[in-house]
Amino acid sequence: MSFEYAEWAKQWMLDGAQWIAAVVIFTGLAQIAFYIVQLVFAAFALSNRPPVPRGATLWRRYSDQAPPIAVLAPAYNEELTVVESVRSLLALQYPDFEVLLINDGSKDGTLARVIAEFGLEKVDRFIDSGVTHQPIRGFYASPRQPRLLVIDKENGGKSDALNAGINACRASLVCAIDADSILESDALLRVVRPFIDEPELTVAAGGTIRIANGCTIDSGRVTHVRLPTNFFALVQIMEYLRAFLMARLALGRMQVLTVISGAFGLFRRQRVVEVGGYSHGTVGEDMDLVLKLHRHMRDLKLDYRIEFIAEPVCWTECPEDARVLGRQRSRWQRGSLECFVRHKTMCLNPRYGRIGIVGFFQILLVDVVGPLVEVLGYLLIPLLWALKLLAWPWLLAFLAATFTFGIFVSAATLILEEVQLRRFPRARELAILALIAVIENFGYRQLSNFWRLQGWWQFVRKQQSWGTMTRKGFGGATGAT
Amino acid sequence: MAAGRGGTHRSSRRREGGVLTTLVALWNFSLALCGVALLALLALLIGRAISGARTDRRAEERRRLSRLLLEGGDIGRPDSALARTEAVRLTIELTELVRGSDREALLANAERLGVVEVLRKRLKSRTPQDRLMASEALAMFPGEADAVTAMLDDRNPDVRLGAALALAQNQVAPPAAELVRKLGLGTTERSLLVVSLMRDLVESDPEGVEAMLYDPALPDSAKLAATDALAASGRVEHAPLVAWMADAATEDSALQPRIYRALGRIGHPGGHAAIRRGLDSPWWQARAAAAEAAGKSGMVAACDKLGELLGDPEWWVRFRAGEALSHLGRSGRNALHYALEDGSDLAREAAKQTLAERGLA
Repeated sequence: MSFEYAEWAKQWMLDGAQWIAAVVIFTGLAQIAFYIVQLVFAAFALSNRPPVPRGATLWRRYSDQAPPIAVLAPAYNEELTVVESVRSLLALQYPDFEVLLINDGSKDGTLARVIAEFGLEKVDRFIDSGVTHQPIRGFYASPRQPRLLVIDKENGGKSDALNAGINACRASLVCAIDADSILESDALLRVVRPFIDEPELTVAAGGTIRIANGCTIDSGRVTHVRLPTNFFALVQIMEYLRAFLMARLALGRMQVLTVISGAFGLFRRQRVVEVGGYSHGTVGEDMDLVLKLHRHMRDLKLDYRIEFIAEPVCWTECPEDARVLGRQRSRWQRGSLECFVRHKTMCLNPRYGRIGIVGFFQILLVDVVGPLVEVLGYLLIPLLWALKLLAWPWLLAFLAATFTFGIFVSAATLILEEVQLRRFPRARELAILALIAVIENFGYRQLSNFWRLQGWWQFVRKQQSWGTMTRKGFGGATGAT
Repeated sequence: MAAGRGGTHRSSRRREGGVLTTLVALWNFSLALCGVALLALLALLIGRAISGARTDRRAEERRRLSRLLLEGGDIGRPDSALARTEAVRLTIELTELVRGSDREALLANAERLGVVEVLRKRLKSRTPQDRLMASEALAMFPGEADAVTAMLDDRNPDVRLGAALALAQNQVAPPAAELVRKLGLGTTERSLLVVSLMRDLVESDPEGVEAMLYDPALPDSAKLAATDALAASGRVEHAPLVAWMADAATEDSALQPRIYRALGRIGHPGGHAAIRRGLDSPWWQARAAAAEAAGKSGMVAACDKLGELLGDPEWWVRFRAGEALSHLGRSGRNALHYALEDGSDLAREAAKQTLAERGLA
């Protein structure tokens, strides 16, 4: 009897172990399959995009019809970098744009520095009240800088500052950026293309974010593209390549883009106002806005497009310190989960078409379930194999789903970058990134999943803070947001 | 019974064996895929290293070719692929920078360098980007209009539109009606670049573009692009154009705001009645555009109505009405002050803010 019991228990444990392994491997393979589909779509999108290689051609083709754009740059305690950031924005090549710098109740001398540097004076402005935000304390402008308007408001966070900018601007398109990022001079002319090609349909468009760590920056411009020496910064370059060149480009092509980076996105103002602007009380305000736009347009039963364009580039500084990077990744995970829960009625709901089915399936698979299952796999599968509850092929399949296919996706993204865009000037940089594409899977990937689990935990505990994001600053200065 | 249990065991083992084989195959497949990707990356790296070694040669070739393109001299056909590629690239770059007789000389030198042959070959490329670039570049060369016109039948819409824009810019475009048909203007082709195309077409064929307005088969958006171009050019009589727009504005279409803006740009008194009707439109986008047009075309007679619109529920209408009144001289300012005293809460606020912002308080 006891022997039969032991047999039964052993069989039960064997079956249980295989089920766990099957779930982990299947989830991993589903993600990989989705990534491979994304690679195919991204390759197709890149090879079929209209070529606009140089500034002069770009200007000749688009400047006549380019709609006015309001560039919204929220700033909080940016005293050290704000002047250079504004100068860089005012030097953008675009026929009709205004820069709205929104001082979000900075505690340092951000406002005073901008006022002094650009000779601004307090002015009146007739503004909309379409979206909500903290009270505005004043507007500052100067006839010498007709493109610049500074909005001084009480602190309310990035979403709140962007909402103030939306109310105050008069352009039909609004471009949301981070004040401490650097837009390439022709980025607006490039990102506006979908609004020119499909003016009636395009609601939003996002551009590429690239990492500026290691690059040479002069007068608010990236003059030499170089790789950083810091390992975390190098790994993030690979991550950003996968996120923008592969995922967002493909999702845009499929018309299921669920996020446009808060560091660089162009939106039709009217539609943003209709959805109530940026949401308060979430750390995933950029993703939330895009999901609200999808929901709104689907509810109105209107045709629309939300696009991603690979060529326009916004440069940003990424964290080089594990603690800061960990906080950022936990926050991103929390933001995704918050957005998923806020819009859960869209998930796999045929009423929301491909965004409900494909877009939300992707969030569910990659952002919601992905880190949990992968960490479960790291913990259990080697253990179950060591206890002889799993045969060797199960472990091999797990290694395939996590490591070898992972290396393949990263390598394929690099190939796509090299064949289509060639943005890294030297072969040495490509070789370093190829090396990173392999070694990031051993150690960093697991660490990243641990940070995402932390984000899960913070989400469960309803933690709302942004945490401190320490930056070195492009000019070597220090700042914090 | 025992035999049955043995059969179940065997089938279970077979199933398990099948699963294990699949798992091993998965691992092998992933290894193969990963290996292929890494090898491809290695090949690209080697290619990059080799092309990097040719950088100096390319730079030297560019210097030599730019001198030949700009100054002429003893020009022969380049014998290497590198030189031909650089010659094409330089031609496209330099033609953006020079004008007039310098440009003509540059194009003649480029032709002697064999750039035209290379571009003609690229028109047949499988890559749409290559075909588009070649169409745009080739349209600059005299005598190549037919080759580029053939690209209006290309399967890629970007290539078709790019070829049309290039032809129109070089004043060698086919008649407007043919372009409308080939590009599907207003139906499949909705780009705002169509307005640029029309503006260039107006220069060479104003009557052809004007005739588009009266073609019943043409979609409204194509007509509006033609209207915008005609309004901006001054190459045709404005009165019938305005009459057409005024008539079009009576139709309940999504194009109304653009029509009002075009009427405002022209400023012809014949459009005032239509603009006035627009101020009463139930659609706020039309009201806002009509208010803007009223200000731009100096419709002092619309001041009372614009004063009423300062109390409109939609901010854009209030803003445009205030802006228009501030452009309409003393009558406009009076209307703003009147609204400030006797208007609704919204109107008072709009008037107050408008006067303050524009320094009229």
